[in-house]
Amino acid sequence: MDINTLIEVALITVKVILVSSILFALPIPLTWIERKVAGHIQLRLGPFRVGWHGILQPIADMIKLMFKEDIIPDKADKWLFKLAPIISLVPIFLTFATVPVGDKITVLGREITLYISDMNVGILYILAVAGIGVYGLIFGGWASNSKYALLGSMRSSAQMISYELALSFAAIGVVMVSNSLSLVDIVNSQKVSTWNICYQPLGFIIFIIAGLAEINRIPFDLSEDEGTLAAGYHVEYSSMRFSFFMLAEYVAMVLMSVLAVILFFGGWSGHAILPPIVWFLIKVSAFIYFFMWVRFTFPRYRYDQLMTIGWKILLPLSLVNILITGLFVI
Amino acid sequence: MSANSGIVDILKKVFFIDLIKGLSLTFKYNVSKTITIRYPDEEKWIPYQRFRGLHTLNRDSQGRELCVACELCSKACPTKCITVIPMEDNTGIGITDRVAQVYEINLVRCMFCGLCEDACPTTAVRMGREYELACFSLDCAKADKHRLLAPIEIPAEFEGGYVVKAKLERNKEGIRVRPDLTKKKRWW
Repeated sequence: MDINTLIEVALITVKVILVSSILFALPIPLTWIERKVAGHIQLRLGPFRVGWHGILQPIADMIKLMFKEDIIPDKADKWLFKLAPIISLVPIFLTFATVPVGDKITVLGREITLYISDMNVGILYILAVAGIGVYGLIFGGWASNSKYALLGSMRSSAQMISYELALSFAAIGVVMVSNSLSLVDIVNSQKVSTWNICYQPLGFIIFIIAGLAEINRIPFDLSEDEGTLAAGYHVEYSSMRFSFFMLAEYVAMVLMSVLAVILFFGGWSGHAILPPIVWFLIKVSAFIYFFMWVRFTFPRYRYDQLMTIGWKILLPLSLVNILITGLFVI
Repeated sequence: MSANSGIVDILKKVFFIDLIKGLSLTFKYNVSKTITIRYPDEEKWIPYQRFRGLHTLNRDSQGRELCVACELCSKACPTKCITVIPMEDNTGIGITDRVAQVYEINLVRCMFCGLCEDACPTTAVRMGREYELACFSLDCAKADKHRLLAPIEIPAEFEGGYVVKAKLERNKEGIRVRPDLTKKKRWW
């Protein structure tokens, strides 16, 4: 083994550790921002007492969560109950293996890619692996042996299955335009021409709506409908197991923002006044803000409305989108 | 007409008009000023001059007590919460030789109606703007003459209706929120 291979291996290891630690730390600022956005939308201030403008509030919450009692219901399926948070967390982390945050940069004469791997089936891989996450929800709801949790997980599994189709079909339009499944190539193709949002406005709208449903956020957060289901699939969870579900949810939101930026808004391409990575972060944070903004604006859809939108509107529309794209590409 | 409005409805749905309206409203709220007053820590509401808070017993410009212990306030009081015991005094504490030996208001029974203020012939009793009356024991629910005569924090001529900067102070006597009247903030 020569020195170059060793450095490559070391680089990949460093990147994996970096990405996963960033993802683990990400909910800390995100919960703070979300609560601040919620507060200001409702003309409140949000958390204000721990640290400057309440910035240490998530850390206080985290400490509280860690010291809470880890309750496993007496009649729960113990093994599945313990497995479920991990199953919902791991796939969403796995997807970030192929998420690029930039192209190559050169440090000390060595090219470093700003992604862990550039799979030639990147988008397919992400959609497939992210789909595994729903098993965490189903197992969590099933193993809790609680009616609320079961109802929540049934709802979320039906919802995710119906919206995954529309989501993937919306992504297919982009793939057809860009002629590649690799996320890096998709971004590079948008550098040459304009952003995909110009070619795929319908696809973008379908993608965002289906994405909102896919990450279980309002107006599609039927699985954790506080009003009718207490907390949905994680109603029996407490302590760190609960925080794993929360973590998975936040990382899923980040993933959806990243995907929307890469597929439709040209990834890290932008005017030369700012470095590409800054452009990328600006776009992603705009999308994260959008998801929070939507959350504190809209009410929740009813379950039958959710299914109607998924199967009767979004799915045909996404097929139409593919058809039109196909006609134009040919 | 109905067909026309049907088309408008469909167009509204296609272009998400209602959703965009809702989003723009919440965005407007997001960037506008919050209505929260950070009360004990940083800000305090100074009431208007018409506010009826804790009573004050006033003095004239030479520092003599205006109260002549005529007991009209205690007669006017609907809850009978004012106790006045007069005494004769020629040392010049009051404006006449009749002053109050005891002047006590039971704040638990007082309903802050302001009738005592109206009844007072010498403008000695006035409703002030002090409203932090909570305490740990019932001792402080009785406002005696000494407490009512104490100089007031907010001058009577200060126009209220503001939120001002304030500081939370803890000491042996209790917790107080001391306002800084120079730093006004218009509330909302």
